Amino acid sequence: MTIRRMKMAMTDNPKKLANLIDLVNLPSTLREFVGQSQISRLGCFKCVWSYIKTNNLQDPTNKNVVVCDEKLKSILLGKPKVELAELPALIKLHFPKNPK
Amino acid sequence: MGKLSPSFRSILSTSVIHKPTLSPAAPPLSSKKPTPKPSRKTPSGQSSGHPVKPKLPTVFKSASLADAKKLYSSFISTSKAPFNLRVHNSLLQSYASIATLNDSISFLRHMSKVQPSFSPDQSTFHILLSTSENRPDSSLASVRKILNFMVTNGFNPDKVTADLAVRSLCSVGLVDEAVELVKELSLKHTPLDIYTYNHLVKQLCKSRALSTVYNFIVEMRSSCGAKPDLVTYTILIDNVCNSNNLREAMRLVSLLYKEGFKPDCFVYNTIMKGYCMVGRGAEAIGVYKKMKEVGLEPDLVTFNTLIFGLSKSGRVKEAIDFLDSMAEMGHFPDTVTYTSLMNGMCREGNALGALSLLKEMEAKGCNPNSFTYNTLLHGLSKSRLLDRGIELYGLMKSSDMKLESASYSTFVRALCRSGRIAEAYEVFDYAVESKSLTDVSAYLSLESTLKSLKNAREQAHAV
Repeated sequence: MTIRRMKMAMTDNPKKLANLIDLVNLPSTLREFVGQSQISRLGCFKCVWSYIKTNNLQDPTNKNVVVCDEKLKSILLGKPKVELAELPALIKLHFPKNPK
Repeated sequence: MGKLSPSFRSILSTSVIHKPTLSPAAPPLSSKKPTPKPSRKTPSGQSSGHPVKPKLPTVFKSASLADAKKLYSSFISTSKAPFNLRVHNSLLQSYASIATLNDSISFLRHMSKVQPSFSPDQSTFHILLSTSENRPDSSLASVRKILNFMVTNGFNPDKVTADLAVRSLCSVGLVDEAVELVKELSLKHTPLDIYTYNHLVKQLCKSRALSTVYNFIVEMRSSCGAKPDLVTYTILIDNVCNSNNLREAMRLVSLLYKEGFKPDCFVYNTIMKGYCMVGRGAEAIGVYKKMKEVGLEPDLVTFNTLIFGLSKSGRVKEAIDFLDSMAEMGHFPDTVTYTSLMNGMCREGNALGALSLLKEMEAKGCNPNSFTYNTLLHGLSKSRLLDRGIELYGLMKSSDMKLESASYSTFVRALCRSGRIAEAYEVFDYAVESKSLTDVSAYLSLESTLKSLKNAREQAHAV
């Protein structure tokens, strides 16, 4: 039932959806990482996740933990280790609700 | 639980009236009995109800008229005997399916000029009509053009012509134009055929308000005396049932009696479906009993609908009983039957029972489809049988099955809850890659799962 409710909230709330897929002007740290000047929150998440995969940054003993390299550290609050579970929340920090 | 069983979803999207397949020489009358009832379609894992068109051998590779003429000349010079009508028709069909209407007409003119022995007949013009649905720019004007071209060549549009014209207009979404054309044709040339009529009613039901459909019926009755028949009523009942308007369905049934019709198996199946969709199992059984009373033989669809409805309203035991009685009457349960049953069992939290039903159905030679697997994945994730769920997911992935949004979300939630975040991310990747879900909805359920998990942890710490 929660899924259903979530879906309802999704379709009822275009603002939330816009938050996720609208292109946003990026701060310089993030711009360097993604190589674009604009990206959506979803695009950014996919970009970071694929960066983790291609560079094999997941801890081999515990796949749920990402061992950040310098580049990743620069955008994830400088943490040396990040849980995969907190990744969406960390990325959200770069996308404040009211940019203006 | 207002969720529709995945296995049943295919039923709703199945197009009710099948397009007539056309053979170039003799376009058949669309004399098939439309089947407005839960699908008889063999569940093959495809949810789209569009019939696959047979691929014609493509003679013409280029849509250019000059190329086509050149190719045609080379055909004539290599063949000893002059081509008959059949060959010409096939050539036209092949060319018209890729070329514009004007070019196709010019090509037809060219052929009859070069070979005077070829005189186009009714079927030749029907080819032009039937191929016009491949053209994205086909409109009322282009259909009119073909009809005028036909009349100037001395052929009057008959009911096959009208049917083809209507279908080609409807297939590009020009239902209003089709209605206009039908009115015109029925005044000038040919009375409205009941199959064309029903096709139009069906199309109107799909895209217009119910009142528009009723207006159309009233108007056709007064203008050209076309009366709704039993199939029309079935289409209407099906339509109102799909929007859960049971009261209107009952009104239609009583109207149907008043008009002197006797409901057949299709009507009963449709009414039963209406009850099942709103989860009223008792009424569904009532319809079944009524059918037996009036001496109608229930068919496979009746049983599938009934089992679906009973499973949905939590009466799995009775549903299983019907499994036996359908076997007694010589109907073999198919994938839809089993999937509905599994859905019911999963609702009860008996995912293991559903899993053993999968074994049983496979042993009986009935192949599960993606709906079956999705139902099971949903059930297993819900009853916290995660290992089994992961096993099943691996199976689905290896055969490139798509995930449904409900089973995706529950599976991801179950994975995250037991701390297998990396695996959940992997499922996310698969869902996006296999185009099961849009990346937006896949991401949203992943994100909100992680968020609610975090909140739950924080609450636990606070206590």
